[in-house]
Amino acid sequence: MDPTPAVTVTVRVSDAHVYYRVYEEPATGFKQLFSEGRAKRRYRTIRAVHGVSLDLHEFETLGLIGANGSGKTTLLSAMTGLLPLASGTIVGRSRPSLLGVSSALRPALSGRRNILIGGLALGFTKSEIAGRAEEIIDFSGLRDAIDRPMRTYSSGMRARLQFAIATARIPDILLIDEALSVGDEDFRRRSAERIDEIRSAAGSVVLVTHIMAEIERHCDRVAWLDSGVLRAVGEPAEVVAAYLDSAAAR
Amino acid sequence: MSGPDRQLFDLTVPPSSAAYLREAWRRRDFAIQVPVQDLRAQNMGTALGQLWHLANPALLVGVYFLIFGVVIDTSRGVENFLGFLIVGVVLFHLTQRVVQDAAVCISRNLGLIRSVQFPRILLPAATLNGQTAAFVPALVLALLAVLVTGERPALRWLALVGVLAAQFLFNLGAALLVARIGATVPDLRQLLPHLFRLLFYASGVIFSVDAFVTSEAWRRAFALNPLYDVITCARWCLLGEPVDGWVVAGMLAWSLVLPVAGFAVFRRSDQRLGA
Repeated sequence: MDPTPAVTVTVRVSDAHVYYRVYEEPATGFKQLFSEGRAKRRYRTIRAVHGVSLDLHEFETLGLIGANGSGKTTLLSAMTGLLPLASGTIVGRSRPSLLGVSSALRPALSGRRNILIGGLALGFTKSEIAGRAEEIIDFSGLRDAIDRPMRTYSSGMRARLQFAIATARIPDILLIDEALSVGDEDFRRRSAERIDEIRSAAGSVVLVTHIMAEIERHCDRVAWLDSGVLRAVGEPAEVVAAYLDSAAAR
Repeated sequence: MSGPDRQLFDLTVPPSSAAYLREAWRRRDFAIQVPVQDLRAQNMGTALGQLWHLANPALLVGVYFLIFGVVIDTSRGVENFLGFLIVGVVLFHLTQRVVQDAAVCISRNLGLIRSVQFPRILLPAATLNGQTAAFVPALVLALLAVLVTGERPALRWLALVGVLAAQFLFNLGAALLVARIGATVPDLRQLLPHLFRLLFYASGVIFSVDAFVTSEAWRRAFALNPLYDVITCARWCLLGEPVDGWVVAGMLAWSLVLPVAGFAVFRRSDQRLGA
């Protein structure tokens, strides 16, 4: 992909296709169930990701932009191996981790217990988490609230906790899906530091966002997805400008 | 860093079964700690709090004690009917809870499944561990009830450990199968309570099958029911109720075959669950 021979690739996506099958009219009653039969139900194939080829490099943060439903999240899921590819390949030197631990957390339990649960869900062992708990609390900036039930947290506080857990062990390849935008300025600064840490440790970060200021702040390159097709990859300023032009033209 | 030639591996190919089990074992803390935390969360905000883990099985046992020990005085062909009943109810309840929870363990964790890559077997395993942990107080109360109703500890009580281990393995297999089926056929959740009501009677939980079924062929048919096997063996251990070889063989067969079958079925579609 990239003509420069000096860059080292951490993840290589080659002609990846991800299709969903969406049933247009699910059988709702007995009549339909028996008169049409399951095989005859009409479905549409959604081409969520359609022939994307993309390299992630060492020491870089790649921004991923595009309209809602353009396949950004699907592409991230495919990169972690969560979604099967219809065709194409995705190879990498380590399995990327998606910043999405929030779904494991239990609102009724305290932040401290959720650090344990979230850490375990991400594949840490119990002792690893015990060793890092204080560091995670410090990084989250939630020391005063850490023993309160998580349901009392604001969405920004949840994002802080989630980010702190997910990056407790600096991942080699981190995929962030719109997880930074809810935080306040302090959280933005902290998360920016973490992202820089990953990058300077020869890792890669992919940042999905709709906030162009985040792209400017973090990204070395930007990829633009449009209806599952990669429209452009390159200099942030150029790609963002092209994307904004096309969005304005609609 | 090993330089630019560092090997890239295919991220979309699922791991081998051996690698899968290794990874599941490495992450075993998840399947132990998360259900424990969930048990804690369950009773938060109630007046009794964590005491419910003891109060709940106590009420379960207590209700049967009241109805069959005080209100209806019957032996129905069993010497210690109360002990007989409580052992049956408690063991039956364990499998019922494991299986019913396993049916929804995938759909309840869809968010996690869609954002974190981990061996999905940890979800039914967590269900099994959580319900088994919640069963411990019930087991202790059942043992107390057996003592109160006049049984004395004997050497055969030790065999209960083996029976419970067999039930645990059976539960594991059942949880894997049901989790797999429940992930694609959510209707299973509605069916299971009825299936268990049927099994409740077919397992002789509240009556002695031996006292009602006289035909030898029919008794053998009962040995095909894993819950009947487990409960009957446990009753032999604690109460000295009769047990025959078919029942023991049935229990062992179920506890050996079902976990293997369950794993094979679950593993085959692991990556597609919830996707």
